[in-house]
Amino acid sequence: MAEPDGGTQAAAGARPAARWLAALARLPRAAMAWAVAAPLLAGLLLLPQAWWLARVLGGSVAGSGPAAAGPWIAAIGGMVALRAAIAWSGERAASRAAETIKSWLRRKLFAAMLSRGPQWTRQKASGELSSLVIEQVEALDGYFSRYLPGAIAAVFLPLAFGLVLLPVDWIVALIALLSAPLIPVFMALVGWGAEAASRRHQLAMARLSGFFADRVRGAQTLKLLGRAESETAAVGAASADLSRKTMAVLRIAFLSSAVLEFFAALGVAGVALYVGLGYLGYLHLRSEALGLPLGLFCLLMAPEIYNPLRQFAANYHDRAAARAAVDCLAAVFGALPDPRRRRAPAAGPAASAAQSLPEHEAARVTCEQAPRPEAFQPEALSTGASLRAAAGTTGAPYAAGGSSAESPSGNEQAAPRPLAVEVRGACLQVPGRAQPVLCDLSWSLAPGASLALMGHSGAGKTTLLEALAGLRPLDTGAILLDGRGLDIWPADELRRAVTLIGQRPFVLPGSVADNLRVADPAATAEDLLGALDAACAGEFVRALPQGMDTQLGLQGYGLSGGQLQRLALARLFLTRPGLILLDEPTASLDPHSRDRVMDNVLRFAAGRTLIVATHDPEVSARLDGSLVLPQGGGQA
Amino acid sequence: MLPWLARRRRSLLAALLLACCTVAAGVGLLSVAGWFLTAAFLAGAKLAFDLFAPSALVRGLAMARIALRYAERVTGHGATLDLLADMRTAVFGAIMRLSPAQLAGYRDGDLVARLAGDIDALDTLYLLVIVPALTALALGGGFSLITGAWLPPAGWLVLAAMLVAACVVPYCLARAAGASGRRAQEAASAARAFVHEAVQAHADLAAFAAEPRADARFGDAVRSLANARDSVAAAGSAGQFAQQLIMGGCLAGLLWLGLDAFRAGALDGAVWAGLVLGLLALFEVLGPLMRGAARLGTAAAAGARVSALLHEPPAVADEPEVRALPPHGALQASGLEYSYPGAARPVLAGLDLRVGPGERVGIVGESGCGKSTLLALLMRIHDPSAGAISYGGVPIRLAAQRELHARCTLLSQHSPVFMGTLRSNLLLGDPQADEARLWQALQQARLADFVRSLDHGLDTWVGEAGRLLSVGQARRLCLARAILAPAAVWLLDEPTAGLDEQAQQAFFGDLGRAAAGRTVVLATHARLPAGAVDRVLRLEGGRLHSC
Repeated sequence: MAEPDGGTQAAAGARPAARWLAALARLPRAAMAWAVAAPLLAGLLLLPQAWWLARVLGGSVAGSGPAAAGPWIAAIGGMVALRAAIAWSGERAASRAAETIKSWLRRKLFAAMLSRGPQWTRQKASGELSSLVIEQVEALDGYFSRYLPGAIAAVFLPLAFGLVLLPVDWIVALIALLSAPLIPVFMALVGWGAEAASRRHQLAMARLSGFFADRVRGAQTLKLLGRAESETAAVGAASADLSRKTMAVLRIAFLSSAVLEFFAALGVAGVALYVGLGYLGYLHLRSEALGLPLGLFCLLMAPEIYNPLRQFAANYHDRAAARAAVDCLAAVFGALPDPRRRRAPAAGPAASAAQSLPEHEAARVTCEQAPRPEAFQPEALSTGASLRAAAGTTGAPYAAGGSSAESPSGNEQAAPRPLAVEVRGACLQVPGRAQPVLCDLSWSLAPGASLALMGHSGAGKTTLLEALAGLRPLDTGAILLDGRGLDIWPADELRRAVTLIGQRPFVLPGSVADNLRVADPAATAEDLLGALDAACAGEFVRALPQGMDTQLGLQGYGLSGGQLQRLALARLFLTRPGLILLDEPTASLDPHSRDRVMDNVLRFAAGRTLIVATHDPEVSARLDGSLVLPQGGGQA
Repeated sequence: MLPWLARRRRSLLAALLLACCTVAAGVGLLSVAGWFLTAAFLAGAKLAFDLFAPSALVRGLAMARIALRYAERVTGHGATLDLLADMRTAVFGAIMRLSPAQLAGYRDGDLVARLAGDIDALDTLYLLVIVPALTALALGGGFSLITGAWLPPAGWLVLAAMLVAACVVPYCLARAAGASGRRAQEAASAARAFVHEAVQAHADLAAFAAEPRADARFGDAVRSLANARDSVAAAGSAGQFAQQLIMGGCLAGLLWLGLDAFRAGALDGAVWAGLVLGLLALFEVLGPLMRGAARLGTAAAAGARVSALLHEPPAVADEPEVRALPPHGALQASGLEYSYPGAARPVLAGLDLRVGPGERVGIVGESGCGKSTLLALLMRIHDPSAGAISYGGVPIRLAAQRELHARCTLLSQHSPVFMGTLRSNLLLGDPQADEARLWQALQQARLADFVRSLDHGLDTWVGEAGRLLSVGQARRLCLARAILAPAAVWLLDEPTAGLDEQAQQAFFGDLGRAAAGRTVVLATHARLPAGAVDRVLRLEGGRLHSC
């Protein structure tokens, strides 16, 4: 989905983008300073080089040159080498500075992406997001490594050259000083168009990446539906469209450099004709004749006056590309990371998000750590208790402390405590749907009890589970775990206390063990096997070629839907939550496997609160109570 | 790469020619200007000097250079972009040919990287390497000939300098930067795939508080990307440095040799000045070459990755002579054997199945027993290791895949929802379907009520991979899409996963009417009501048993 949801940010204009880029440039201060200074220095050293060259060449021809030309020629060679060395070190500094900035930005964007929560990424195309973080950030490279150093040189060098030429010949200096300021004017005109075209092009590129990712993922399905040829043609059309858009950008960008070429060529031709005609006596604009060395010096410097500007023009589309990239980033991410608040990366994503999102996001994140509102807490506790009594889910195994469910490994944290769950007037809207998925839903569950969440598909079971896990904020209403509102639970504590096994388990490329260790990176091989056995997955995993070290390919190719689901479920047994949320854990299991899995889940859930979303009446019958969500999100 | 270049050779050659003319005009402009200036000084008096030709030449060359430069850039970039679009289409076509097992060998972010980033990296090759190198050689050769006409040793010097600067230095650079270029390309692809996976696994990562670990690993990926790119840039800078040194040496040499010849009276002063200024202009062409050569390693790595994909032979390919499939017929499998690569025991071991035209067969069995594998073999997604499958008496191995896919439609467990609207997803099943047909399919898949409740109905955007739908809704959308396909055989793998009991029973109860005489093979765990299918088979131990 490429619809920019923060379009207002992008529309705010180029000024914030320019300010933000300037702030980024200050991140690697020393490297950037030398990157800017080196071209200036190398440019200024051109003056002695050109003068020596003119003196050796012109002086010799005119018969007024130095008697021993050898040292002068050596000096010219040496100066070329010295300037090359300075330019080299400047380029190195620029490259390092650009890499520093891009790395910083990529990490910040990635952290920002993670901190927005799955609801946010779910509305974006993964191909588009990866294109933003990798390609669009790369589009900033030219801005820092070429445009900025070139821009400063383009402002000062023509001016300096013009001033040096002024005492030599005021008309040549005038040609230079008059034509040079015209150039930025032309370029600004051209630049506007270039930036707009560049933005269009980058949006098209990001969308194309999203389109590719989507079609590649479903390549097999498209082929089976007989759409292979038509989709290949669609990809061809999309690529051709992209090259058309790119050419539109380039035509304008090249126009801006053509303007400069025009002036540069005019300058060279003008100086040559002016000085030459002067020698021939056609022009009498100066009192005394210009010597040949000085004439040659003027001719040598004429293209050099325009050279920094030509370089600048060649890099001008780097600026347009960078600004367009910033707009694209801002359109998708909203607020951009603030380079002025640079600190060592904090431990958790929540903390790094707080520093990377200067605007409204930071406010949201910090309020999670805010002290609880005094007035709210006691009331929450008391109503939680009274509703629990009224809920009618009786006979819940209330194993306080949960020590019976102690697992042998990882005792560093306190034993899990079953959590009381209370939902108060929850409403949740999903984009694109007329009616809210959940509307004014209220219920509660005693600690240690189990509940089946039922209802038509699309009734909001998954949505509710995600909301309970704190992955999806409610529009209105509140969710209280253990009497505490979800919004005041510290994020890491909440993650430890609640385990959600989703319905669409994503298989990460890597081994079976890698996939399980998502739940507990410290788990030993025995822990993993124990968890697999508990999920009835031990048998087939042991039968895999390399057992738990078997690499799983794209979307777990080679494993059936039910096997993947059991693999995902195995993660549950590696956590130690007080509240377990399972989304259709048995959907693609045969009745026999289903019953074995449920036996183990219920054993594990002793002393924990358990909520299972399911369609299966047999599963629901084994739980303490059930809640049927009505279609269309009415009153529960 | 060569066949691609050949396809666009006219515009590519035009770009090369324009590039040569542009540089020639630039060199000519400075040479003539230097010569004219010095000659004018030496002439001193206007009478002895033909003014018209040089001044016209200076103005003409100045104008020509502007026009040529613009034309060259537009042509060159246009041709390159067309080239990249051609390649992108071909690579996508290659991806479509591969079997799921082959695709599983790539991370899907990696395939996208090949389609987008790697192909883009190839633009370096023509614009920054081939064109500048050929231009430098052509112009360098021409310039050294002219120089040699007046000053033979200087001619050899210029020729040698240009050969070193246009061939030797770029070659060394490309070798030096090759490894880091490859690393940069791999690192970019890895970082990209990492973002890709983090987006898809975001809910899992969040639920298990694994974000800090993902964050740390992404940091490593980004750091190695930055290091590799910096090494590439370092090689480019070193190339510029070398080029400047060669230019300095060449300039000093031309001054020294010219001075001797001038003093000996063998060289005209004006010609000497013209040659020196021309030399300065000539070296300008080498700037992009050095940058391009440093990136050659990246381009080579990208090229290798793209061509690996283009040349991977499809695991399942059509025979050279295909046999036509009859429009209707029995689906028959005999002695089917199949095992996944590396698996200890086969999934299917001597399976036999015959489904008559219009017959509906249910297949049940424990999860992981091979139901999905059987359906995949019937669709010829893989070929069985032993045994044969025929449709209407024609072995499907001998038929065109396209035709087989037109006869049979498969709803697999991994069927994805595509980015787009509900409508665009349905139309993939049958592009010709009209509104009524779409609604009928939605009704049969029990999704019509939901779609009617949406603000935009069929035109509702479903997000990437249908992430804006619930799992059950996404599943039913895929079912509706499969139903729409104008096929004689439906192969349905768990069509009712994600449906509640009531809807499930309603779907099965309606199946006979919905199938309307089509052959149906149905793999499911669900309880099948009477009349839903003609017979039920149990898949166990790699074979089918009636129950």
